[in-house]
Amino acid sequence: MAYETLQDIENCMNNGWSDGLPVIPPYGFLVDEMLSAMGWQASDVIGEIHDQNIIIRAEKAAATAVMAGCKTEYGPLLKSLSLALLDPKFNISGVEVTTGGAAVLVIVSGPIVEQLGFEHGANALGANNRANATVGRFAQMMRYFCGSGGGVLVSHGTVGHPGRLSFCIAEHPTTEWEPYHTQHGLPAMASAVSIMSAEGPNSCNNHYGETGASILDTIGDCMNHYGQTAWYYRSGGFVVVIPPDHMALVKAQFSREQAAQYIYDHARRQTDDLTNVGRIAKQPIPYAEVEEHSMRSPLKSIDQLSFIECGGEGGRFSAVIPRWVGSQQVVCRPIE
Amino acid sequence: MTDKTPTSGGLTLPSKQLMSCGDITCELLVDPIPRPAPEPIKVTIKPKLSRVVLVDHLKPNSMAILKLTQTILRERGIEVDDQILVKEDASRPMPAAMLDSLSREGGLVLCGISD
Repeated sequence: MAYETLQDIENCMNNGWSDGLPVIPPYGFLVDEMLSAMGWQASDVIGEIHDQNIIIRAEKAAATAVMAGCKTEYGPLLKSLSLALLDPKFNISGVEVTTGGAAVLVIVSGPIVEQLGFEHGANALGANNRANATVGRFAQMMRYFCGSGGGVLVSHGTVGHPGRLSFCIAEHPTTEWEPYHTQHGLPAMASAVSIMSAEGPNSCNNHYGETGASILDTIGDCMNHYGQTAWYYRSGGFVVVIPPDHMALVKAQFSREQAAQYIYDHARRQTDDLTNVGRIAKQPIPYAEVEEHSMRSPLKSIDQLSFIECGGEGGRFSAVIPRWVGSQQVVCRPIE
Repeated sequence: MTDKTPTSGGLTLPSKQLMSCGDITCELLVDPIPRPAPEPIKVTIKPKLSRVVLVDHLKPNSMAILKLTQTILRERGIEVDDQILVKEDASRPMPAAMLDSLSREGGLVLCGISD
């Protein structure tokens, strides 16, 4: 039987049923178990991509979860995640095909992090842990399978990034500020899954700063390099990942709202420089709201900046994750 | 075992059906890929009318390129609509009403042009 299973894996990979890595073949009995764990019937309609005449039924999500290697105990989380991915606000086909090479960033927060064994400490952005790896992979496979119009749409990502294979981070169960999902209207005690389309993370090293302001200045500077996609349209925003050692300094000086305001006020570049270097069109469209001779933030509004607390102790590295400019909203759903 | 993998414009589409076969029996694997029903978009290679409709999607220099296109096509005797339509947000799908209207256009629709 083992040989047949290997053949099935090869068959999936050779016929477009794969993200490029080996998959668990979606045998009917495994898909049925996953459907049961997700609380769905196979034919339940869980989403629609209206302009492409595509209706997505629960069986597709369950098959994808099996193929990604998810455990059935992740079922309630995967149900919320599936609904978030298929929310029209997320624009799943846009994420799949954009030249921006965006991935789906999955953020898991609340008590579910410990219940399902997510890694939220060491290597929080790239944990070698089944929950992180397979839930993140599931999201990318859904993007690929559901966002490509049945295979007729081709991704035009110019360089992409490794998160297009898996990109899932989990927040510390106990946080200094309120949990991540409270920034999107859910109560602190909830478990939640949030998604956004995102570029790859930028590491922010500050080992010798002695104040919260010095840490936020470093993070702000990382958001401010010429190459940030945000400069022109400013539609996406940023997620700032703060580990415990940086957080100890920042929380002593700032609340979450104050920290966001500080970065918004201080992380700016001269508009004319951005135009001269080619980061803003010389004749900008009105949507871009370009003011000549002014100091420009890469954020159109302060609510485009959010924070997540995760990462290991003993190192002083934060991270800035730029969101893709085509998905203007984070989709955050409770896990029930 | 697989069904025949169809192609579309040089693309190899994912298989719609895969089977797992043991010594005695075969079973279908569950297809994970949702597909359009019926066809996603019908592309007409040859327009019914000799006319061009231009759509600006607001990416950098889209309007400038389309205006130049309008001028060049007219110099070559091709009818081009005076109005250059505007898709308000390059990063979002085209609004349904606009897509519906353009799908009934008999001429050639040119959009998605920018630097």
